[in-house]
Amino acid sequence: MKRFAVGVLLVFLLCFGFVALGNTQETKIKAGFIYVGPIGDFGWSYAHDQARRIVDDTYPWLETVYVEAVPEGEVEGVIDRLINQEGVDIVVTTSFGFMDGTFSAAQRYPDKIFFHCSGFKRAPNMATYMADFHQVYYLNGVIAGALTKTGKLGYVGAFPIPELKRHINAFALGARRVNPNAEVLVRWLQTSWYDPAGAKEAAESLIAEGVDVLAFTEDSPTVVQVAAEHGLPSFGHYSPMYKFAPNFVASGQLVHWEAIYFDFFAKVYAGLYTPKNLGNVDYWWLLREGAVELGADFGMPINPVFEDQLKSTIVNDPVYGEISVYDLVFALLKAMADPEYAFSPFTGPIRDRKGNLRVPEGVRLTMDELITMEWAAEGIVGAWPGEPE
Amino acid sequence: MRLRFQVTRRLEPSASMVFFVSVLSLLLAFLVSGLLFAFLGISPLEAYRVFWRGAFGSLYALSETVKRMIPLAIIGAGLAVSFQASVWNIGAEGQMLIGAIVGTWVALFSPLPPSLLLPAMFILGFLGGALWGAFAAWCRNRLAINEIITTLMLNYVAANLVLYLILGPWKGKTVRGFAYTDPFPQEVWLATIGTTRVPLMTFLFAFLAALFCYFLLTKTTFGFELRVVGRGEKAAHLAGIPAQRVVALVLFLSGGLAGIAGVGEVSGIHHMLRHPAHISLGYGFTAIIVAWIARANPLGVLASAFLFGALMSGQDALKVAFGIPFQVMYILNGLVLFFLIASEQLLYYRVTLRVAPWGEKEDECDRVLD
Amino acid sequence: MSAIGFWISGVVGRTLAYSVPLLLSTLGEIYAERSGILNLGVEGLMSLGAFSAFAVTFFSGNPWLGVAVSGVVAGCASLVHAFFSVTLRTNQVVSGLALGMLGMGVSGVLGRDFEGKVLATTLPVFRLPFLSALPGFEKHNVFVYVSLGLAVILWFVLFHTRWGIVIRSVGENPAACDAMGVNVTLVRYACVFFGGVLAGLSGGYLSLGYRPSWSYGMTAGVGWLAIALTIFAFWNPFWGMVGAYLFGILYHFSFRFQAQVSPELLNTLPYLFPLVALSFVSRLAARRKVGPPASLGVPYQRGSS
Repeated sequence: MKRFAVGVLLVFLLCFGFVALGNTQETKIKAGFIYVGPIGDFGWSYAHDQARRIVDDTYPWLETVYVEAVPEGEVEGVIDRLINQEGVDIVVTTSFGFMDGTFSAAQRYPDKIFFHCSGFKRAPNMATYMADFHQVYYLNGVIAGALTKTGKLGYVGAFPIPELKRHINAFALGARRVNPNAEVLVRWLQTSWYDPAGAKEAAESLIAEGVDVLAFTEDSPTVVQVAAEHGLPSFGHYSPMYKFAPNFVASGQLVHWEAIYFDFFAKVYAGLYTPKNLGNVDYWWLLREGAVELGADFGMPINPVFEDQLKSTIVNDPVYGEISVYDLVFALLKAMADPEYAFSPFTGPIRDRKGNLRVPEGVRLTMDELITMEWAAEGIVGAWPGEPE
Repeated sequence: MRLRFQVTRRLEPSASMVFFVSVLSLLLAFLVSGLLFAFLGISPLEAYRVFWRGAFGSLYALSETVKRMIPLAIIGAGLAVSFQASVWNIGAEGQMLIGAIVGTWVALFSPLPPSLLLPAMFILGFLGGALWGAFAAWCRNRLAINEIITTLMLNYVAANLVLYLILGPWKGKTVRGFAYTDPFPQEVWLATIGTTRVPLMTFLFAFLAALFCYFLLTKTTFGFELRVVGRGEKAAHLAGIPAQRVVALVLFLSGGLAGIAGVGEVSGIHHMLRHPAHISLGYGFTAIIVAWIARANPLGVLASAFLFGALMSGQDALKVAFGIPFQVMYILNGLVLFFLIASEQLLYYRVTLRVAPWGEKEDECDRVLD
Repeated sequence: MSAIGFWISGVVGRTLAYSVPLLLSTLGEIYAERSGILNLGVEGLMSLGAFSAFAVTFFSGNPWLGVAVSGVVAGCASLVHAFFSVTLRTNQVVSGLALGMLGMGVSGVLGRDFEGKVLATTLPVFRLPFLSALPGFEKHNVFVYVSLGLAVILWFVLFHTRWGIVIRSVGENPAACDAMGVNVTLVRYACVFFGGVLAGLSGGYLSLGYRPSWSYGMTAGVGWLAIALTIFAFWNPFWGMVGAYLFGILYHFSFRFQAQVSPELLNTLPYLFPLVALSFVSRLAARRKVGPPASLGVPYQRGSS
């Protein structure tokens, strides 16, 4: 509902803007989307494609095409074809690995606009964007900390890069807020983002170690299914995974790339964003902007099956006092979605698992520190390649 | 008097026959693919047009074709030599990756002066891939382990080695923690031909490699020896040829060429080390098909590598133009292969109709050598 | 159960479940290769099996029907390879690879609409009366038990029955078999078909039992591993079984021991083990002249020797 409202608002704004600015743009804008994986993966590329469809359907002046399963080294060739063969005006590249290719293409086509996801290189005609889950993971952690009976939470991660480390840390921090002795056991796949057999065996090995709540980053609902087979709660990732185990998906992280796409494309169409002024355009969108959502499914922040348990679990919270975990989740959600960003999961003091103080008291991590995070929070157990001393 | 079909076998089809039949089979494959496109709701003619334009229709398209042809030709030439010795090197993927690793080390971590970096990358990359292949030879010679399994398993080891390096000690300082190395210094970025993305050095090297391998196979004693080994170690033994040494050298060569292809990819295309699947792109396996289709003739490899480069390039254009499922490419490739090998039979057998007298016996095996 | 017992049971249980597709595909490929036909398209056949099983079960609600279909579909697909290899006598390497590609492509294209779908009914898990007392055997999918039993049966058939002798002889010396009246063509077709059926079944297990879903690429290279394991097993179903289970154990360990050993190293162990194991036995096998079927990959035509 929310994203539709945003879309309608923007369309309305657009018509007004069109008239007001005496717009001389073409009547149609064509955008080409490049995905690193297949859109059927029900993970990263799938979510981008869903967002593309929503935006394409909503904006009558927008036409989109997409290319899936593009290896990182091939992106420049695909960009060339999109521009020369399909005549696109905007190229959207949805993987970090496309960064250098997008950047060099941006130099070669100074009149075209480039929109790169999860990277850090920008140019007058190249902007960047990202929707991050760390806030949602924090809330997932709070829920997990309350649901676990063994005190062991499990996380199956694909590759030990800062994005995942940030998410696992947020998960651990949230869990330990309500359950100070909770541990997060981590298993890495390190084969590819899509590895259902690995995800299954990793999840099974975690469960064999006594884990009773699972979260993950991998492009399939395997972990959810494995957890459900054992009767354990889990958190869906990226796409609504409630349907795979309606009685066991407690919550999850959901993404709304379309929130970002609505904004960006509208601004391009209205002439606010041109191939000359994108050098500082960097979307780092979170709960506040509606780019991510807490939930097992859209509109379901907490699975009703777990409501009673969470409502009856009372904790003594340093900020909110005596409060049920259920209310705590929503209070924190409100605080993080607040336009003034009233609360950040990474507010100090925070020590890493080796005892070093990573975030001083009263300090919040900056965006830069968030996106280059390599350390592991307290309570995390397992291999952590690249852990700093 | 009655009519009879007589099947006669040709010893060696002429080059023009090969060409003619190959083209015919490709056309047939495309005809059938047209049905596939129609099934997907795309006009076959439109699809052909886009494909042709995407593979050959412009200088740009040709450059994309050639860009893919290069690693296929380099690896394929080595594999052609290997297959003629009946040494089944399935490890080109891993050998490529080792070459890429060695090349990365030279580019980023070696103490050499900038002017020596590029030659060192190629020479050491060759050695890296060569030793990776030679290890399989050692396993075969000393431990009697079939090289298929050794080379195949070593692929996985090489891929994991790349992952270990990019996630650990070689993770770049400028890549914000993602799994890549730092970009290579500009000195080792291969110069490209004009405005295309075809690296000049490896382009020339592809032809050199093919010529060298052809020369090696047909004009040297070693080539003769390895072809005898290809018939069986017993035959080699009878001829007094040291089969084990031949096997080792063959794996050394084909592994080294794959290594060079790997260096070419990281210094010409990626300019860094990244996830192994994105570097090798299945070239090591496609090159096996390339070599087979060329009947293990290194010069023929140039043609079949070009064919596959065109297939990949044209399919890219199709992907962009129609948004068809990317798995369609596999169907297309499979069809092309089936038609190519089916047509091979046409090359080797000639069916004639002749008038035969009544008394002539019916013979199941009517083999008359030309 | 004691901690050690629990640990063992966990390892054995996971290995049994994980190794099924690898085991089935290897068994099938062993039979195909024993008759002299090299089939490199196992991965594609598995994918076809997985997809068709999922699609049929999705529409019919009956997973057993899905299982049956997976075997039939892959078996029929493998007949194409048999046709090209036995009748047309073309290049078996390319034919197998081409079939594999077609299998992956067709399953991928047709499977687009099924990605992300949920199955209402999947293959059941149950206990067997005596077996469930063993650690790790408590509760398993029917495939686990069947594949284990099949391995033993196929070993027995290959080495201790007349059929097995016929198959092996056709693979060693088709001309002699032909002269003795054996229908080489039929035997080879049958073995390739059988190999295809098993590959399809292993795919069906993946999409109906191991991880009830369909997504392109879910076979994850198991088909290629099966081809390698066939060699590792010296074309013997028993060693194929051992190899598949050992691979499964090591794969399981690669997740269990991550806290202690580097993940990358653990990930390579399953692939290094065949080499290490072979380094001990290969020379012995060579001396005993145990090797590939003599006519593997060589098309047979009557009149040539």
